[in-house]
Amino acid sequence: MKGHKLRLALLLSVSGLFLLAWIFPIFWSLLNAFKSEQDVLAYPPKLIFSPTLAAFRDVLFGPTSIVPNLVSSFIISIGTTIVTMVLAIPAAYALARLRVPGKKWSGFYVLATQMLPPVGIIIPYFLILRDIGWIDTYQGIILIYLSFSLPFAIWLLVSYFEDLPFEMEEAAFIDGASRLMTLWRIILPQVRGGVAVTVVFVFLNAWNEFLFAVVLSGNVVRPVTISMFNFVSVEQTLWSKLAAVSALAMLPVIILGIIAQKHIVKGLTVGAVKGGGRR
Amino acid sequence: MTARGLVQLEKIVKKHGSFEALKGIDIEIRPGEFFALLGPSGSGKSTTLRILAGLDAPTSGRILLDGKDVTGADARARDIAMVFQSYALYPHMTVAENIAFPLEMAKTPKAEIAPAVREAAAKVKIDHLLDRKPGQLSGGQQQRCALARAIVRKARLFLLDEPLSNLDAMLRLATRVELKKLQRSLGVTAVYVTHDQEEAMTLADRMAVFREGEICQIGRPADVFAAPNCIEVAAFIGSPPMNLLTTRSTAGGVLIGGRHVPVAASLEAGRAVVVGVRPSAVRFDPAGIPVTVEVVENLGDAAILDLTLDGTPLRARYDRFPLPREGETMAVSFAPEDIHLFDPTTGRRI
Repeated sequence: MKGHKLRLALLLSVSGLFLLAWIFPIFWSLLNAFKSEQDVLAYPPKLIFSPTLAAFRDVLFGPTSIVPNLVSSFIISIGTTIVTMVLAIPAAYALARLRVPGKKWSGFYVLATQMLPPVGIIIPYFLILRDIGWIDTYQGIILIYLSFSLPFAIWLLVSYFEDLPFEMEEAAFIDGASRLMTLWRIILPQVRGGVAVTVVFVFLNAWNEFLFAVVLSGNVVRPVTISMFNFVSVEQTLWSKLAAVSALAMLPVIILGIIAQKHIVKGLTVGAVKGGGRR
Repeated sequence: MTARGLVQLEKIVKKHGSFEALKGIDIEIRPGEFFALLGPSGSGKSTTLRILAGLDAPTSGRILLDGKDVTGADARARDIAMVFQSYALYPHMTVAENIAFPLEMAKTPKAEIAPAVREAAAKVKIDHLLDRKPGQLSGGQQQRCALARAIVRKARLFLLDEPLSNLDAMLRLATRVELKKLQRSLGVTAVYVTHDQEEAMTLADRMAVFREGEICQIGRPADVFAAPNCIEVAAFIGSPPMNLLTTRSTAGGVLIGGRHVPVAASLEAGRAVVVGVRPSAVRFDPAGIPVTVEVVENLGDAAILDLTLDGTPLRARYDRFPLPREGETMAVSFAPEDIHLFDPTTGRRI
C-alpha cells in the first residue's frame, strides 16, 4: 500500500516535471505577446506588468499585417488536406482490402518517405518546381506537401480500414452496392473517427511546415510560419510581435486539437458483429 | 409466373494454392426448395455458399441461376440475398435504414421503400424496433434484422450461413421453426449452411453432406438418415451418432461379440466389414449378446447407455424405467434391417 502511494507520487512528480518543461516556452511566449517591447526586455524578467494588446493590434492591422500570411497558410493547409484525403481514402481502402501485387513493398515505401531527412530532398524539389515554373505557387507547394502527407495519410488510414469486418462489405455487395457505393455508404461512416484524425494530422503538418516553405515560396505564397521572420532582423528582434504571431499561428492548431480529441479512438463498429454491442 | 430460384453448380473446384478446398461439387437445387449444406467445419460448405453468392470465384466449374450462367457475374448482379453468421448489420444505420439499403441500391422509388421495410420487419416481428441502431438490439433481434434485410428485396435466392449459431439454445429452437415457416410462406429457394445435423434434418427438404471438399451424399434428410452411403455420413448424421464396429462377415451375416448376426445384404463370408447400428436400433433382449453398462446418461424421458460389447464401446438408447445401474450386465440383439454395412477400405456402403 505504502509502496503503491510512493510510486504514484514519483510518477506524478516526474510527469509534472515533463509537463512543466513542455508548457514553459508556450507560456513564456504567450506572456510576451501581452507585454510591451520594453517589458519583454526588462531584466530581471517582470512577472507583474500591465498587459497590452498593442502587439496583436500591430501584427493584425499594422503595416506589416500577417493576415495575408494567415490566409496563405489556410489556402496551403486546406488545399493539401483536401487533395490528400481525396487520394488517400481510395488508396488506403485498396491497400487494406484488395490483393494488390507489391502491397507489402508499398507499405515500406510509405514508411521510408517518413524517414528521409527533409533537407536531403529540398534541392531536387526546388529544381523540379523551378523547371515546371511552379516556384512560389500554391499548386507547387501543395504538390510538395503531398509527397509527405499522402503516404502518411494512407499509412494511417489503412489501419482503420483493416479493422473493419469483411462481412459487412460483402453484405453490401450482395445487397446490390457497387464497391464505390460500399466505400461511401458503409465503410466511410464507420471510419469517420480515423478520417477526422488523419485530416487533423495532415492539416497540422501543412500548417506548421517551415523548411520547404522557406525555400519554395516567395512573394505570392507566404505562409505565417515564414512571416515570423519579418520580426527578426539584424538590428533587432521584435519579441512581443513575434510572440503575438506565434500565438495567432497556434490558435488553429489548438482549436483543431480540441475538436479532434473526441473523434480519436471511438469504436464505431460496436454492435456490427456477433453481438459486439453487448460488451 | 415461372418458378424462380433454380440453382445448378457444375463441377465447382476451388483451390487455394495447392490446397483443394472444393474438389468438384455438383448440386442442383430446385425452385422453392430448402436445401442444406451440411458438414463439419473446413469441409467446404461455406466456400460453396460464397461461390454461389459471388463473393468468391471458383477455380473451375460453372454456376447457373435459372439456367443462366453467372459464373463470372458480380454478387450484386445475381439477385440473391444472404444472412451472414455475424449478421453483418451496418452499425451506423438504424434498423429501418439497414432493411431499406438493398431497396435503395435497387433504385426502388422512395414511396415504396417505407411500406416494404415495415412489411419485412413485421414478418420477423421487429417492426417496433425500426428506429434502433444494431448496437441497441439483442442477439436475437439482430438476427431478425438481418433476416428482414434479406427478405425485403424478394430476391430469387436466399442464402443463410449458419444464421442460428450465435443464438442461445432456446432461441435457436424457436427461430428454427419460424425460419422454416418464413421460407414456406415466401416460397423462395433457400440454401442453408450448417454444421448442426439436427438443424439440417429439421429444416431441409434436401441436403448435401460435405466432407473434405467433396459431397458424400445428397438426398432428403430422412433418406440420408435411413441409408447413409458412407461411413463419414453415418458417423455425422444422428445424435448420438451411429455405432461403428469393425468385424468380419460370416455366411449371410456378420460376427458381433463372437456371435453370428444375420444381415439383410448378401455378403461373401470372411471379408472385413464395418457394421453400423444406430443407438436407437440397439434392442435389449435377454437372449442376446451380453454387454456391460459403463455409464448411464439420463435424459429424463430416456437414457443413453454407454455399453461395452466384448471390449468395444457401444451406445444405446434406452427408454424403459427403472434404468439399469452402472456395472450391470445386460444383453442386446440387432435386427437385420437395422444393420448398415460399410467397406472398411473404401468407406462406401455395401
